[in-house]
Amino acid sequence: MPMSTTTSLDRRRFLAVSAGTALAATGLSACAGSVDNGTNASGSGKTTLTVMTVENEWDKKGLKAAEEALGMNLNVIIWDATKLNAMLAAKNPPDVVRGFGATETPYFAARDLMTDLDPYFAKSSVLKPSDLDPVNDVWRYDGKKQGAGPRYGMAKDYSQDSMFWYRTDLFQAAKLDAPSATEPISYDEWLDLGKKLVKRRLGKVKVYGLNATGMGVFPQLMGMTASAGGSLFAEDLATVDFSSPEALKALRWYLEYAKADIGPSVVNPNPDGWDGPTYQANRMAMSCNGYWFGGLIGADAKLAGVSRFAPAPQFGSNRVSSCFGATGFWIPRDAKKKDAAWKFFEWYFGGKPAQDRAASGWGIPSLKSLRPKMPQTNAFQKQAFAVQEQELPHFSVLSFTPYAQQAALEGVLNKVLPGAVKSGTSAGKVADQLNSRMNEALAQGKELVG
Amino acid sequence: MSTEQIAAPGAPSPSGETAAGPGPRTGAHAGRRPRSLTTRRSWSFYVFAGPWVLGFVALTAFPLGYALWLSLTNADGLSNNSRFVGLENYRAVLTDPETLSSLARTGVFVAITVPLSIAAGLLLAVLVNQPIRARGLFRTLLYLPAVVPPVGAALTFKLIFDRDSGAANGVLDALHIDGVSWLMDPYARWVLVSLVLWGAGNTMIISLAGLQDIPKELHEAARMDGANAWQSFTKITVPMLSPVLFFQVITGIIAAVQSFLPLLISLDPTPRGVTSVPEGNYLFMIHVFAQYFANGRYGYASAMLWVLFLIIVAITFLVFRLSKGAVFYSVDPEPTRQSRPRTIGDK
Repeated sequence: MPMSTTTSLDRRRFLAVSAGTALAATGLSACAGSVDNGTNASGSGKTTLTVMTVENEWDKKGLKAAEEALGMNLNVIIWDATKLNAMLAAKNPPDVVRGFGATETPYFAARDLMTDLDPYFAKSSVLKPSDLDPVNDVWRYDGKKQGAGPRYGMAKDYSQDSMFWYRTDLFQAAKLDAPSATEPISYDEWLDLGKKLVKRRLGKVKVYGLNATGMGVFPQLMGMTASAGGSLFAEDLATVDFSSPEALKALRWYLEYAKADIGPSVVNPNPDGWDGPTYQANRMAMSCNGYWFGGLIGADAKLAGVSRFAPAPQFGSNRVSSCFGATGFWIPRDAKKKDAAWKFFEWYFGGKPAQDRAASGWGIPSLKSLRPKMPQTNAFQKQAFAVQEQELPHFSVLSFTPYAQQAALEGVLNKVLPGAVKSGTSAGKVADQLNSRMNEALAQGKELVG
Repeated sequence: MSTEQIAAPGAPSPSGETAAGPGPRTGAHAGRRPRSLTTRRSWSFYVFAGPWVLGFVALTAFPLGYALWLSLTNADGLSNNSRFVGLENYRAVLTDPETLSSLARTGVFVAITVPLSIAAGLLLAVLVNQPIRARGLFRTLLYLPAVVPPVGAALTFKLIFDRDSGAANGVLDALHIDGVSWLMDPYARWVLVSLVLWGAGNTMIISLAGLQDIPKELHEAARMDGANAWQSFTKITVPMLSPVLFFQVITGIIAAVQSFLPLLISLDPTPRGVTSVPEGNYLFMIHVFAQYFANGRYGYASAMLWVLFLIIVAITFLVFRLSKGAVFYSVDPEPTRQSRPRTIGDK
């Protein structure tokens, strides 16, 4: 067969060349991270650290100050779960990623996506293990349980998320005694107060009596079950059991709460997505949020004057007050600039930003040495600090499963609970449905994790 | 202008050479053109077509192939232990009641929103095509909602229809009527339909362009023959507009099947919040998103997308088949060589 000597580009060759170029470009983009020399485009020679965090982490001025303090450029990627998944899957993740230690650590650690930070902590003169608040243990996972094993991240600050804030003006208007600042009330008393505080008009709730779930329904049910002396997860974290007496107690309570329609729930979610605007607008009497919520309240003197903090309600004598967030940062295993990332850790968690955060009242500092910096100037701050101090000893790590994300478990609750509340399905039957659907999802995850 | 310059494609040129048509040049005549001209013309064609082909391969063909491969595994996108599961995900997609009900719900959504939005757009187009005062202003006002980004429109609807602080219930309250949980079942789907209709300016503008393309003489002739407005509309306007309406049906169906609006009017438009979309608005694409990013079932979700892709292809094919005889083209859409119009510049 004679070889073609033509120099023109025929159609087949054109398509083949195009396809090859496109695929090569696709492949090269995935490899781009591995050839990153760490310098910025301007050629200043400074290291560029890629940080995935929320949009309001820094304004322009703050970002510039951060870059100056660190002596490196920060390439900020706005946190997005879908983007993070794609970057992790492509093995080209950011160098530092913001996350919820309490619910994400087992999931990512079990998939070998996180960097073991123990060697860095051991060498650090800024972040000493002895100075770490116990909450940082939620960033540990030993392959079987949370709270032990290597440290994979660190909390920037935290709260005990089953505690609640209440408005004294609404209590006074309803002629009700305010909850104790030292002794936790029972969940039943809490629900009863919520029912008494709610205000309605023509099928609408004008003032919510209570929001019972600040950090999501699943963590709240975990905390309630623990307070009743049980555990939602089995010991191997591979299954849930809503049928245990303790879990049923928690589930029954939540169903009654949702049915009573006294606050945002799976049946009537808060359109704002969080309690801040509603609470500020005098439309919520009790809000289940931890110490961090005081940062919002403290910024408004009038609101601070009528707001008080209270211990987490309890089901039984097993006083538990956990943290379901412990928001902080972690370093992906495939991060390219781990030493620079650790430098960021030391600055962010132990430097000026950490001191500023501690003094702001937007959370409990994650270093014990920073606790004295918590605001205690006015009456509102003093009351919140005192209640928080008494609550700290009751903190404990509740292990989350490595086999499913919180979103998947919340998804099952969102599918099952609204119908159950409307139809009045018994808690036992609801528990069976939840067990079946959640355990199926967990089994799929377990197969992949091994 | 030379004879060659106005020769119809495919027609023989004075030199006996076939004019360049869309097909490949074959046979004895192919080599007669000077090589440099052929090369230059093919290069210029490929230079213009190249970016699109590159984009198609990198952004469509490759992801399609990758998704096909994923759909044959139990991957969660992050673990290293995923394995090949054959057609198991497809079997699961076609038997999972939740997936099938989300598909059926999507079908109902398409059946309601596509005809309604096209009809609303046509009605508005007919109205603003009338010789009325401030016609331009009305056109602008009616088109304006279509310019608002879907996220902004969805946020507005969310605030209007909030049960406890929304304007909709405020009106009911003023009338001493009990408030309604608009954003929850069973009302949420109607809020979603309203949101789709809110953007009817898009279909209006396309129909308006079609209306203005209809020769006035046809309506005048009909009027002189005694046709009333309704007869003129149904016997002239609609048939003449049928290619435009057909285009809207096809694109409307494809867009509605892939609709993501329910997530935008949900209370938490994130992978975590996707699962809180009310049952009535839990459409197929919402379920796909939840499977990918809330449940980490990349394999299963990819199979869902492939099933959806095949469904869209099948629907499009079906609609094309059914449209034969119902769509009137003033120019034959499949011209034969003989009927092709001559084009200046063709050689």
